Amino acid sequence: MDTQKQTTRLLDAVLFREIWKAMKVTFKHMFHRPMTFQYPREKRTIPDAHRGALGLLRYDNGQERCVGCDLCEAACPSRCIKVISEEDKSLPLQRYATEFYIDITKCVFCGYCVEACPVNALAMTKMYEYSTHDKRTLLFDKERLYEIGEQHLEDAKKYLYAHNQEHDDEESRAYRYHFPQPIEKTEASDS
Amino acid sequence: MSNTSTMVTLTIDGIRTEVPEGTLVIEAARQVGIMVPHFCYHPKLEPDANCRMCLVEIEKIPKLQTSCSTRVAEGMVVRSSVPHVESARKSVLELLLGNHPLDCPVCDQGGRCDLQDFSHEYTPTVSRFKELKRVFPKQYLGPVIETQMNRCVSCMRCVRYCDEVMDAQALAAEGRGTITQITHWAGNELECDMCGGCIQICPVGAITSRLSMYDYRPWMLKRTETICSYCGDGCQITVQRKDDQLIEVNSALGAGRNNGDLCVRGYFGYHAAEHPDRVQQPLVRQADGSFAEVTWEEALDRVARQFTRIKATHGSDAIGGLITTRCTNEDLYLFQKFMRVVIGTNQIDSGARYGHINGVRALRRVQGTHRWTIRYEDLAQADAIMLVGTNVNESNPITALHVKQAVKRKGAQLVTLESLLPVRSTVSNITTLSKHHLEVKSGQFSAAILGLVKAVVESNLVQEDVAREAPEFVQTIRTNVAKVSWDAIREQSGLSQTDVETAARTYSQAERAVVLVGREVLRSLGGEGLVTNLMDLQILTGHLRRSGSGLGCLAEGSNDQGAVEMGAVAEYFPGPAGLHDEESQKTLTRTWGQAVPAGAPATLPEVLTRARTGDIKSLFIVGDNPVESLPGDAGVTEALDALEFLVCQDLFLTETAKRAHVVFPACSAMEKDGTFTNTEGHVQSVRQATEPLGESRPDWEMFSALSVLMDHPIEYNEVKEIFKEIRGVIPGYGLLGPASTPPKVDEKTVAQYVTSGFKEDVDQRYTLDASPAAPEGALTLRLVQSLYHSGKYSTRAKGLMEIEGEGRLHVNAREAGRLGIEEGQTVRLANDGGQATVSVKLNDRVPDAVAWFPEHFDEPVRALFSLKVDPHTHVPVWKTAHVTVTKWSSTNRSIEERSRV
Amino acid sequence: MKTFEKILLTNMERPEYTGSLADYEGTGGYKALKTVLGKTPPNDLIEMVKKSGLRGRGGAGFPTGVKWGFIPKDHPGPKYLCCNADESEPGTFKDRQLMERDPHQILEGIAISCYAIGAQTAYIYIRGEFRLAAKILERAIAEAYRAGHLGADIHGSGVTVNVSVHAGAGAYICGEETALLESLEGKRGKPRTKPPFPATHGLYQKPTVVNNVETLANVPHIVNRGADWFASIGVPPKSTGTRVFCLSGHVKRPGNYELPVNATFRDLIFELGGGMRSDKPLKAFIPGGASAPFLTPDHVDVQMDFESVAMAGSMSGSGGITVMEEGTSMVWAALRLMEFFYHESCGKCTPCREGSSWIVQILQRIMNKQGRPDDLRTLTEICENIGGRTVCAFGDAEIAPVQSTLKYWRNEYEALIEEAEALKGSRKEIPVLSLA
Repeated sequence: MDTQKQTTRLLDAVLFREIWKAMKVTFKHMFHRPMTFQYPREKRTIPDAHRGALGLLRYDNGQERCVGCDLCEAACPSRCIKVISEEDKSLPLQRYATEFYIDITKCVFCGYCVEACPVNALAMTKMYEYSTHDKRTLLFDKERLYEIGEQHLEDAKKYLYAHNQEHDDEESRAYRYHFPQPIEKTEASDS
Repeated sequence: MSNTSTMVTLTIDGIRTEVPEGTLVIEAARQVGIMVPHFCYHPKLEPDANCRMCLVEIEKIPKLQTSCSTRVAEGMVVRSSVPHVESARKSVLELLLGNHPLDCPVCDQGGRCDLQDFSHEYTPTVSRFKELKRVFPKQYLGPVIETQMNRCVSCMRCVRYCDEVMDAQALAAEGRGTITQITHWAGNELECDMCGGCIQICPVGAITSRLSMYDYRPWMLKRTETICSYCGDGCQITVQRKDDQLIEVNSALGAGRNNGDLCVRGYFGYHAAEHPDRVQQPLVRQADGSFAEVTWEEALDRVARQFTRIKATHGSDAIGGLITTRCTNEDLYLFQKFMRVVIGTNQIDSGARYGHINGVRALRRVQGTHRWTIRYEDLAQADAIMLVGTNVNESNPITALHVKQAVKRKGAQLVTLESLLPVRSTVSNITTLSKHHLEVKSGQFSAAILGLVKAVVESNLVQEDVAREAPEFVQTIRTNVAKVSWDAIREQSGLSQTDVETAARTYSQAERAVVLVGREVLRSLGGEGLVTNLMDLQILTGHLRRSGSGLGCLAEGSNDQGAVEMGAVAEYFPGPAGLHDEESQKTLTRTWGQAVPAGAPATLPEVLTRARTGDIKSLFIVGDNPVESLPGDAGVTEALDALEFLVCQDLFLTETAKRAHVVFPACSAMEKDGTFTNTEGHVQSVRQATEPLGESRPDWEMFSALSVLMDHPIEYNEVKEIFKEIRGVIPGYGLLGPASTPPKVDEKTVAQYVTSGFKEDVDQRYTLDASPAAPEGALTLRLVQSLYHSGKYSTRAKGLMEIEGEGRLHVNAREAGRLGIEEGQTVRLANDGGQATVSVKLNDRVPDAVAWFPEHFDEPVRALFSLKVDPHTHVPVWKTAHVTVTKWSSTNRSIEERSRV
Repeated sequence: MKTFEKILLTNMERPEYTGSLADYEGTGGYKALKTVLGKTPPNDLIEMVKKSGLRGRGGAGFPTGVKWGFIPKDHPGPKYLCCNADESEPGTFKDRQLMERDPHQILEGIAISCYAIGAQTAYIYIRGEFRLAAKILERAIAEAYRAGHLGADIHGSGVTVNVSVHAGAGAYICGEETALLESLEGKRGKPRTKPPFPATHGLYQKPTVVNNVETLANVPHIVNRGADWFASIGVPPKSTGTRVFCLSGHVKRPGNYELPVNATFRDLIFELGGGMRSDKPLKAFIPGGASAPFLTPDHVDVQMDFESVAMAGSMSGSGGITVMEEGTSMVWAALRLMEFFYHESCGKCTPCREGSSWIVQILQRIMNKQGRPDDLRTLTEICENIGGRTVCAFGDAEIAPVQSTLKYWRNEYEALIEEAEALKGSRKEIPVLSLA
């Protein structure tokens, strides 16, 4: 063992250098802003990609985006989605969901349903405060889901943008799933 | 066919294979496990090569060839996965997708769509097609089918199926180029066989069922292979359900005896099982006459106590039993065992009494079998097919398909003896395919069959060795038919000598000839004799013993054949064996651990008579509905009301069940396991597709439970054990497989028949009864089977009721003109029995001076008919009546109402 | 001006000639029929036609004698001859004139041909719009029956030939021989998959020969003047005889001109046709009906026989020559033809059905100055994917105008697309999926 190292160790012991080192961190933190959030008085800023409660979205003209295709149900790994659909009698061939349930207690927030949706009707929001005294209210029905979608529309859109599902309002309109209404093909060719 | 053809060796993608000459390249590829993508090709259809998807490269041919239309050749080298073939497929897909809407998420076919699958395999996710897509409005083809032509890939499979397989030609392509669309013939609503074949065969979602539109996605469906319970054809169906909701029924290519083809009842009739009127709880009649829902224990206990009491006080023969032939073999077997062992009576009968028994008795008598000696495959190979009183397209649509195939593909010569006119329309009509159609006057098949035999005997068509071996038989028939003049035959049947002779010649000279006999013969007075006469015809022409030839009696009920074989009829023990057959008695005694009852049997009419006279105090009716399946004057209600105790076991609270003291809720065939024996004697598995509705249970469980409560336990853990016991009683019964070998003609029985057996009644069989002439100006009203219904059960099916929801009087336009009535008008039918008011439908295949009414809706007209019972076989005959028809207007009605007030 | 010997049009070019039976017989008509019926064995007739080198005038140019030779000799059932008078190729109008002006020439040809192949029934499948021609033909048939040139036991030879006229319902595709047969059978006019060929499984699945009107009209002349005479005209041995060429477009004197097949396009357009209408230079011409690829002025000295035109990269086809002068937009010309093909595609095969509508839409866009840079690549690829992938030749025909204009006048397409690019920002784009 060489003398140099022995001297350093001796000096460390005599001068309580380790303690000073530790105290330095302590003193530094005396002037640092505290990290803890005083929830619920204070709240964090949540990133756009956050996977919160699911909501259903409408187009800007108020039409329901959901076409009741059941793909979310098929994609759901925890089997918490249930869709019942039928034809909209006023618009031939337009399929829509008559009932839509998400059992949020079973949901694992994987976001697969959002990815599976062909019309971007489902989106995750930044809403995470839905604790309740009555567990039954955690079975979100269609009405509740649209309500969430409406309340958190901006977040929902940001979620879709963040996950590259949609890029802007313009594109959301392109996804719009209207069923083609009859026109005469021959007219197009004769022009 | 395949065993005689030569084999050809070819190489497909480096795999050498040998296939019969004439095979299509696409089929050869499939056999070595290479799936060439295709849309328009279908094994059932002639190649059309329009989708251009199945292009392959064949060495030495410069252009790519469609593998669906190219036949194999010796030494052919086929490549199906080289880059330029793949790029050709890609381009075809790209072009198809050009006009295809992107509505996969909502399309009912999405998930099982050929176009979707191939697109996933071949095309990029982004399309270059940025132009306008053609758009068609959605169109309803009738009440149950709709088209969404935007999705159509113009493969024409539906049109071709409708023409080539169904022979209906109800669908057609309209327009040209990209605006080609599939539609029905212009004008009216689609009227066709509604077989659903177009829906099944569509490779995309262009033609879909309205009954389940948007209700499901294919991957949610759970599938069960079972057997359809509507008719005796025994089609294999795939029942598809989402959770416990029935969504769809279809049938896979190559499945069962139907090879994936279904009729309207099989395809659209599945809702009957989940009708809201189903009895879901055991019901017990209260003191005030109403029914109360009770527990199984209570209901069973009550029945067991009553049966025990009646048996103790009045003896075993105070109890009788009737069962429907919609039950499985196991149910039928156990029912007769219950009645014979626990109750101790032979007074049981089943729905086979309504006609099928006539055929079985004749077959047993002449050829010593109780089944057909032919199979559907023999139909396809036949050189001549004769249909006698079948209207096979309505009663047994899938047998009709086999006949159509035989005629259209193989060129078999069809001889039809039917009471319907060969009029072509978009509903297929088997008589339009026939070479010789003999238009028999309604109900006069006896004269027609006699004419055939006479023609054979007198035109020297009798086989030489038959004349040598059984001279007396031939001579006796010759003398008998000589007594009947051609004039008398023409007078009665409406057939001319030359017509009958040409038909007889066609039949006799065919190498393989099949005779199919239908309900108009089987359900007639002396039906057994008529079938025997047809057997005589077979003996005379030498077809009886020839392989590939034979006679088949078409079963109407899904298990008519099984009911007879299970001994659920008055005259037979299981086997079927005669009640005095010692061998059978011994086996049954051993199996059942108890002697077989010695009491007299009772057929359905006898059971009812004995009930009326008070000899029978109690009846156990399983699924049968004599109140509605016999006419008013049969006295069924009186008989049932006279009973001390009536137990009914049924799906619905029928008119019969309403009179019961206890009603057990039974399971439909969709809800239980078991076996059905189809009309050609093929035993097939019925599997449980849905959970029993409410508290309903399979029939056999109730018999078993009652036996335990009556201190005479016959217990089984599962339905298979019953089948095992059946196998013990009838050795080798129902070797389940693709097709069981049909029995051979029993030479001893035939020999006995032609030497002496025939003498017994030959004189009666070959005479013409003077048929009661119709009163002047009266129409012959016949209750007929409708294509869209089967029995009363199908009137509970939502889809079928949308197709045909009420009974209408069918008359042809000439007759309507004579009567001064028009389509949709109301007419009054009247005769001595009563009167009825019904609306009119014009149907050009109804013969002159005849009106048809579908038997499924016979409620209003039943009073017009009167019952006749065959003196020999006790078959109830009542489906014909003579009525006067008068126009009925609202003024008539108001006058009537006023007079009633 | 050069003069050429005429065969088919000789009679009708005389002003007093009405086309009646008397007129026709007056020029030696039905002489050929009388000389062969019952005297020349049918096989010798077939050999004679083979030797003459007569080729189908409908478009494909298949040797007629060879076609007749395919008919099974020992077939027990009936055989049929169908005269294809469904002349609907744009720019072709020769059959119409032949039928309207000299119907008996055709009927004689039909009768001789029927005798040669052993058919007793002939059908003239005439284009639905040819009301007048149908009427004239029917009148001529009635005359011929009366005179004993048709019907049972013609001129005591024991030969029976019955001819009837069947009018189509206006579908271009029914000029395709198998589609014609389907239509004649009362079905939807769609081509059949070959094989089997009509020679063995034709009309009602019986051996059938389908020949063009002009082809059949040549037969009496071959019989009258000998196969060697016929074979000496044109470019022996492959392309022989004369053809009636239909000249249309920007020329001074459009019309039907009968020329030996070794004449050049220059002879037709500039000699007989009198040159360009407005004396602008020639820009392009279609050498054989709408389904033939365009040719350029460089090809104007090409001979009009089948082989030479094929060598030049087009086809002689039905002989309809449409001429375009300088200043014609070739994109527009291609679009116009494509619209015709789109309208007439029967819809059987996917590539032709879907491809034609796609091409039309792209061309429309390009013409409307909404083209996109990748359009030309897409067009080329669609064309490649249609060619050779369909049941009948329609697929190959419909891509001809697009492919040939792309080949010779690609710069016109590019100019339009460049213009579209320049306009891009300044105008509203049509929505991508305007149906949504």
